[in-house]
Amino acid sequence: MEISQKVENGIVFLAFNGRLDGSSATEAEQAVKSILEGENNRLLFDFAKLEYLSSAGLRVVLGAAKEIKRRDGKFVLCALNAYVKEVFEVSGFGAIIPITDSVEAGIKEVS
Amino acid sequence: MPENSRENESLLLVDDNPTNLQVLYQTLETTGCKLLVAKNGETALSIAQKASPDLILLDIMMPGIDGFEVCRRLKADPATANIPVIFLSALTDTKDKVQGLQLGAVDYVSKPFQPDEVIARVDTHLTIHRLKREVEEKKDALEDELEVVSVVQRRLLPKGLPEIAGLKLAVHYETSLYAGGDYYDLVQMTDDQWGFLVADAEGHSAPAAVMMAMTCALFRSYPQPPTEPGELLYFLNEHLCKVADPSFVTALYVVYDASRRTLKIARAGHPPPMIYQSAEKKAIEYACSGVFPLGIDPYEQVPVTEAELHAGDRILMYTDGITERFNTNGETYGEERLLRQLEAGGDLQPQELLTEIMKDVNNFANGRPADDDQALLLGIVQ
Repeated sequence: MEISQKVENGIVFLAFNGRLDGSSATEAEQAVKSILEGENNRLLFDFAKLEYLSSAGLRVVLGAAKEIKRRDGKFVLCALNAYVKEVFEVSGFGAIIPITDSVEAGIKEVS
Repeated sequence: MPENSRENESLLLVDDNPTNLQVLYQTLETTGCKLLVAKNGETALSIAQKASPDLILLDIMMPGIDGFEVCRRLKADPATANIPVIFLSALTDTKDKVQGLQLGAVDYVSKPFQPDEVIARVDTHLTIHRLKREVEEKKDALEDELEVVSVVQRRLLPKGLPEIAGLKLAVHYETSLYAGGDYYDLVQMTDDQWGFLVADAEGHSAPAAVMMAMTCALFRSYPQPPTEPGELLYFLNEHLCKVADPSFVTALYVVYDASRRTLKIARAGHPPPMIYQSAEKKAIEYACSGVFPLGIDPYEQVPVTEAELHAGDRILMYTDGITERFNTNGETYGEERLLRQLEAGGDLQPQELLTEIMKDVNNFANGRPADDDQALLLGIVQ
């Protein structure tokens, strides 16, 4: 699992590459925690290169969503592959976290 | 040199030359360790077995059993295999050093030795040995505790399966580590009405087991018979929201009316049930809308889906440890394979069919151990 991050126009971007499961969840949680240390309250997860997401991965996403909610901010998940999208649909998480097809649409969502 | 911490540690010094042995003794006296000595290989082995020293300094060239053979025998005996051995020898060939280390020695010091160097190496290896032992003891203690959690958890599961008129049940439950987050339960509400719950607390081991136990306690303390699946999940969620952060629990709750063979299904983040329809000879994931998992946020409303079963139909409730079971190629078992297994049941009794399913899942995994808990609850309509 590789996670790259940048901050642009007040939006925190986290791009995930690989598999977000039990073995990479802790690393991902740390990455989310460290990038949210400031005052940022607009967060975008770029899942274009995320191959797989387990329930431990859902917990990472949920943790981020809750933190952003506490800050009264905006959070979006972008560019999910078919498998990851299905995980969000079956688990019902799609109802509490906005999902967009592209990063561009995601930027609009949190702007 | 932290002498005070070495009082309870002992070193065994082995050399056939009395002068060498004396120099070594005097050198290591300053460590504060208790010193044992042996002048040949046989005595060294006998003392090692009786006294279990914390470290052995071993000469190689000795009459009788040489140092290499002593080391080989120490490593072959479980009682002495973990004692670190440092070879101390006039043999300075790389070949001899390599042979010594390959036999399981932790270090090799050439003679004539520098006293400070020997003391420093002994100190390092005693520290490593002590830390290794402490880690192992802590690991054993943690495993014992998890074992207790596991035993308590198993007691929370139903003791057996009830006899239900017209519906035969079977269950499979296994945790990936000692304790897990999967949970199933059954409750009778009236003569004909039954509730089946399958839930999965996110994660595994002790934290998941605590959430599983909470879910169990809440389910069994529901103030009335849980005949309305939406209301039950609403109730569980309301209470789990107070404790689950940032974890969550997925759940599938089904109310079965045995006289009318009808189902009422509510789903919170959990895979929908699979139903084999005998008339169509086809198994499907039964589409039912749901809500996000328990323990995250209050629900506005929990949708309920109704269904009807017929003779020969099968209903399977399961946790995603089955469908997300990995094989050695990193592929998951998936829903399709599970559906095909459910279809292929033939005349099998429920428990036999579950055995077949688990056989297929394990064959697929091809030796890769499960990294999540796995639970299945199967009902076949008679």
